Amino acid sequence: MKAGTAARIGQAMLPALTVVAVVAAWEALVRLRGIAPIYLPAPSSVLSYLWRMIADGTMPYHLGITLLRIFVGFALAAVFGILLGVLMGMSRTVARVADTWIAALYPLPKISLIPLLIIWVGTGEAYKIVISAISAFFPIVISTYSGIRQTDRGLVKAAKDLGANARQIQLKVVIPAAIPSIFAGLHLGMGVAIILVVAAEMIGGSSQGGMGWLLISSGQVMETEKVFASLIVLAVVGAGVIKLQQWIDCKVAPWVDHG
Amino acid sequence: MAYADGMDVVVEDVTQIWPGRGGTSVTALAHVTHRFRSRRITCLLGPSGCGKSTLIQIIAGLEGASSGAIKIEDPQRPDIRHPLGVDSVMVWQNLNLFPWRSVIDNVAFGLEMRGMPRAARHQRARALIASVGLRGFENHLPGQLSGGMRQRVALARALVMERPILLMDEPFAALDAQTKIVMQEELLRIFDETHKTILFVTHAIEEAILLGDEVVVMTARPGRIKDVIAIELPRPRSLDMVNSREFGALFDRTFHLIREEVTKSMEQQARVEAG
Repeated sequence: MKAGTAARIGQAMLPALTVVAVVAAWEALVRLRGIAPIYLPAPSSVLSYLWRMIADGTMPYHLGITLLRIFVGFALAAVFGILLGVLMGMSRTVARVADTWIAALYPLPKISLIPLLIIWVGTGEAYKIVISAISAFFPIVISTYSGIRQTDRGLVKAAKDLGANARQIQLKVVIPAAIPSIFAGLHLGMGVAIILVVAAEMIGGSSQGGMGWLLISSGQVMETEKVFASLIVLAVVGAGVIKLQQWIDCKVAPWVDHG
Repeated sequence: MAYADGMDVVVEDVTQIWPGRGGTSVTALAHVTHRFRSRRITCLLGPSGCGKSTLIQIIAGLEGASSGAIKIEDPQRPDIRHPLGVDSVMVWQNLNLFPWRSVIDNVAFGLEMRGMPRAARHQRARALIASVGLRGFENHLPGQLSGGMRQRVALARALVMERPILLMDEPFAALDAQTKIVMQEELLRIFDETHKTILFVTHAIEEAILLGDEVVVMTARPGRIKDVIAIELPRPRSLDMVNSREFGALFDRTFHLIREEVTKSMEQQARVEAG
């Protein structure tokens, strides 16, 4: 039994151990070979930069701006995406019209809209929010619609048998049944919203700040430590956002197997 | 009680043809005529694919028949017309419980659709949940219950509607042997207390004889009525009767009727699979 427990703890620790090993090897490599920090800074100096950037408020400021843009864009996409998806599920006409537009616009890389958006709305907040909203909108509307369409016919028949009218079937059966797909769409939408906001901050608004701006402006002056520090923050925050979404899923839809 | 004398289900010359691919159509039911009497359990017995489920969905008003008519009739007042789906309620083979609703909100679903206020419908639902032995599970989700318990929720959800006709589509087919026995006894108890008109679809001969006042034996596709066997075992029924001579004789008779049809149905399926 004891050996079994030890093995299990070993299994659980293994991923963390690989991280520690890679970071240690990295540190050793930089120190032993004397690699210039502008190519590859040592983890220890990245961490000290990170700490300073957190302490002097730089990092919280830029991270805050980026998160705000992501969430505003994502919220807009969620509201309109779910709304359109549900309408498509309810009306064949809406579905046919919207399907054509989605088929035409969905495959377009959203990042290619950036020049046009800058011409139309400038490089201010609107541009970054619009780009994240547009990119998140498509996966959300598509998942919502497919969830609505895939509603178990048996549940609809059962509801009808129990006296539900068409409106009640929509509200009390079809939409709740689509919630797992809607959540899947929200996850995808959040992922692309993060990507597009950071990318837009790199390209467009030079004076607006944000994580993308911090990355690109640090890179331009060869402050590689700051680049790494920003990447670490983005990775950790991204993982945190996904965990938060999963936690909300479990709270809102406890009947779904969340894996 | 408005339905003290129950309701008959009158099926008149019902034919159901499903349009198939490439112009081929499948006749599921052919010229089915029968009066399902009130205050009785009538079992519809037949090989799989013989249209039994289709027939009760037509009776429930959930499918339209290609031709023929269904009448829901109060034997005391045969002149009054009753629309389909209003006096009957289904219990489904795969239950069709709403997985996002708690037990109590599943049971109260029909009352909620009717616009009954939350407190009132929960009170009624709670009473039904207790009567099927699920007190204490009101706030569980269906996914947290065993197969037998889910079956009880489905039964309570139908019974709370207080409709005179109960349409049951192989409700116990998916249960393990012991749970099935318990549920059959439960159904017999409910019948003895409420005297609803029950149409019970099954492909199990023993179950049909144990539960039914009448067993309607159907043919393989296209489904027709092959024979109607009156089951005159006394009520209240119990599982001990399965060992009686009378039961054995009924079983033999039914078995011989159904064997031919099952063989035919298997041949049909083999032909379909062979292409």
